[in-house]
Amino acid sequence: MNPDNYLFLSALLFTIGAFGVLIRRNAIVVFMCVELMLNAVNLTLVTFSRMHGDLTGQVIAFFTMVVAAAEVVVGLAIIVSVFRTRRSASVDDANLLKY
Amino acid sequence: MTTTRALGSTTGVEITFILIGLLTFGAAVLTVTVRNLVHAALWLVVALGGLAGCYLLLAAEFVAWVQVLIYVGAVAVLLLFGLMLTRAPIGRTTELDSGNRWAAAVVGLATAGVLVSVIGDAVRTTWFDPRQAVVNGTAKAVGTSLFRYWVLPFELLSVLLLAALVGAIVLSRRDVSDDVDAAEGTPRAQATEAEA
Amino acid sequence: MSVLTSLLAASPGDPTNPGGGLGGATSTVTNTFTAPHVEYRALMPMLVVFGAATVGILIEAFLPRTRRYWPQVGVSLAGVVVAFCFVVANHGMAETTAADAVSVDGVTLFLQGTILLLALLALLLVAERGTGLVDLDAFTAQGATTPGSGGERAADAAGLRTTEVFPLMLFSVGGMLLFPAANDLLTSFVALEVLSLPLYLLCGLARRRRLLSQEAAMKYFLLGAFSSAFFLYGVALLYGYAGSVRLSDIATAITSSPHSDVLVLAGVALLAVGLLFKVGAVPFHAWTPDVYQGAPTPITAFMAAATKVAAFGALLRITYVALPGLRWDWRPVLWGVAILTMLVGAILAITQRDIKRMLAYSAILNAGYILLGVISTTSKGVSSTLFYLAAYGFATIGAFAVVTLVRESVRGGSDSGDGGEEDSVTVGGEATDLSAWAGLGRRSPLLAACFTVFMLAFAGIPLTSGFTGKFALFTAAIDGGAWPLVIVGVIASAAAAFFYVRVIVLMYFSEPLREQGAGPIVVVPSPMTTVALTVTVALTIALGVLPQMALDLADKAAYFVQ
Repeated sequence: MNPDNYLFLSALLFTIGAFGVLIRRNAIVVFMCVELMLNAVNLTLVTFSRMHGDLTGQVIAFFTMVVAAAEVVVGLAIIVSVFRTRRSASVDDANLLKY
Repeated sequence: MTTTRALGSTTGVEITFILIGLLTFGAAVLTVTVRNLVHAALWLVVALGGLAGCYLLLAAEFVAWVQVLIYVGAVAVLLLFGLMLTRAPIGRTTELDSGNRWAAAVVGLATAGVLVSVIGDAVRTTWFDPRQAVVNGTAKAVGTSLFRYWVLPFELLSVLLLAALVGAIVLSRRDVSDDVDAAEGTPRAQATEAEA
Repeated sequence: MSVLTSLLAASPGDPTNPGGGLGGATSTVTNTFTAPHVEYRALMPMLVVFGAATVGILIEAFLPRTRRYWPQVGVSLAGVVVAFCFVVANHGMAETTAADAVSVDGVTLFLQGTILLLALLALLLVAERGTGLVDLDAFTAQGATTPGSGGERAADAAGLRTTEVFPLMLFSVGGMLLFPAANDLLTSFVALEVLSLPLYLLCGLARRRRLLSQEAAMKYFLLGAFSSAFFLYGVALLYGYAGSVRLSDIATAITSSPHSDVLVLAGVALLAVGLLFKVGAVPFHAWTPDVYQGAPTPITAFMAAATKVAAFGALLRITYVALPGLRWDWRPVLWGVAILTMLVGAILAITQRDIKRMLAYSAILNAGYILLGVISTTSKGVSSTLFYLAAYGFATIGAFAVVTLVRESVRGGSDSGDGGEEDSVTVGGEATDLSAWAGLGRRSPLLAACFTVFMLAFAGIPLTSGFTGKFALFTAAIDGGAWPLVIVGVIASAAAAFFYVRVIVLMYFSEPLREQGAGPIVVVPSPMTTVALTVTVALTIALGVLPQMALDLADKAAYFVQ
């Protein structure tokens, strides 16, 4: 077994996340799918880190996690404020801006 | 200890990876397909936990524990709170998916095909050989690397967290509540009190 | 033992190691920690801006709500001005610092200077609160109140103000200063997030039409997070290819590696998705009109001008420093993107009825022009891109400044919070519908003249900055062999001239709307907007009439340090 399989797993997870972003309508679930994508990227980074035998990949994965945590804070604040106004967190209902 | 030997011989690691990999994959699929919002969030937790297991198998212990602390611990709980706060439907709901399911599936399969073939091609060209030594991503090793090579981005993270904190407070803090009577004349006094 | 091996592997003896160029660390492994050398002078512009933002947060924490406004304005303006002085003092610098995370060179300094000037002007618009007769605050009194609720009116009446916008904006400016200077993809990624997160929030704080504003924030946030995931996957694949995320190491790996290029191409493509999203190029432009329309207009001005500068700066650095070896692979793709961007921007702008949406499509169109400079891969291309970014940025801020001044009038004082309820007519939100701008030239000749200058500059009429910039870009593109693109660019310009001129015609040769009895009114701003407007008009004309100095500056600045 070599680390390549981790890369395939990661590519599949990334695609599943992207697929979720496209089909889900609830903003929080869309956001969960984005988190899944970021995690898939982290797996790629850690695997490459293992393959190259240096720590850069792991350090970047660590950075990604912190950035994602900050994104969650901001994202939930925005989504909850939209919900308070409209009583719905559906992405499709947010359509005042469509023309 | 070289990577090739370590990875080639340990069938225990192999089997563990297959199990964790399948679990993670299945959980991820369920996250994006299941019709119950809260279940989706819980399956996401399983997927994130599975990834932490993968990190451990890849000798990245620090990242694995941070994953457990930040994602499984904090982010997942925040997301669940978010679902509760927005009063998302707890039971099954048919309103979860938009209509473009099949288009998305085609796009998704195409992307997956491209990515997997790209990686497969990259792996076949085998420029990773000879596999280099395993680096144990202990907290000490990661910390040393962090502060020797990545000081500036690390400091920048603190700025990012501060900005996120302030921003979230701006959007959610209330000095004047929504329930204030909107009748003319009255709000002014109440608001001034609330402001103090 | 494991620690020792890991340190060995991470030591600079390893050629693929990111810190390979670090002089201080040697390959003898000890457990002593070698701190990287940081050249603080090179980082001063960013440090000052972040410092000012932190002071702003302390002001939020310790001053009572009603007394925060002036200290915030003072601190933010002072921070930006001091940072600009440091940029000027650093001129001619060419070095990398902070363990090679940041490279300060001509391009960095020129773009940082531009971003700071644009931020200064945008801050003036953000700080606009009206003259006492009219309240022109563009931000909601309290972000948490429900639009239309009693709480919103009460917060307005109590004189609450969202002064947190100043530190948030400074955080964003700090990220923008770093984004074009980032010398590795990790720093790029973090800088991208630092500049984006505050912007997501700021978009949702508009005072009028808050539903629109909050939806804009949500849309921008979700799509922004989506695109940064792509950016990050690109970073991961490039790291897998090169074993490092330093731009120069990636360049070396590309030219020296005998292996398949597939991985690096996939990585670059994913990276490009993230960057092109930020600049608003066409397959990734869908957010631009919605977000520009929904965000508070001063923030729209800031985003349209400064984000574009920062993102194009990063695009320039990545393409010119990391990817020169792949030139023949990424150029055709960018050709396609540039053509699509110019055509879609021009065609859809014609169909718009809303002035902010029209300016958004104009921003997309201009992103297409600027891509010409990136594609030409010559130093002339770099300098023309730098010049055009500055010229476009000033005109954009000016145009949005005009938009903030044309307001709807509301009969009977039913609109909340203007305090003028005894008057029969109060100032409402911005009149962004194009029909409201009919006859503006008669009612307010000066404002209409300002807007005309910006429209002429966007259309690329001679003696405006837009002409000089387009001329420089097109000649650079022809030198770089991209003449078919220039033809498309000229066609797009001709189409664009139609809708820019249409606005001018509307302002001067149409009868103003009078039917509803409450036509739009032009408000008199405080000196802040007046200054911003004057400066942008002056610069737009100056860069068109006497562009040589600025062009020379851009020429001299067109060098990268590896």
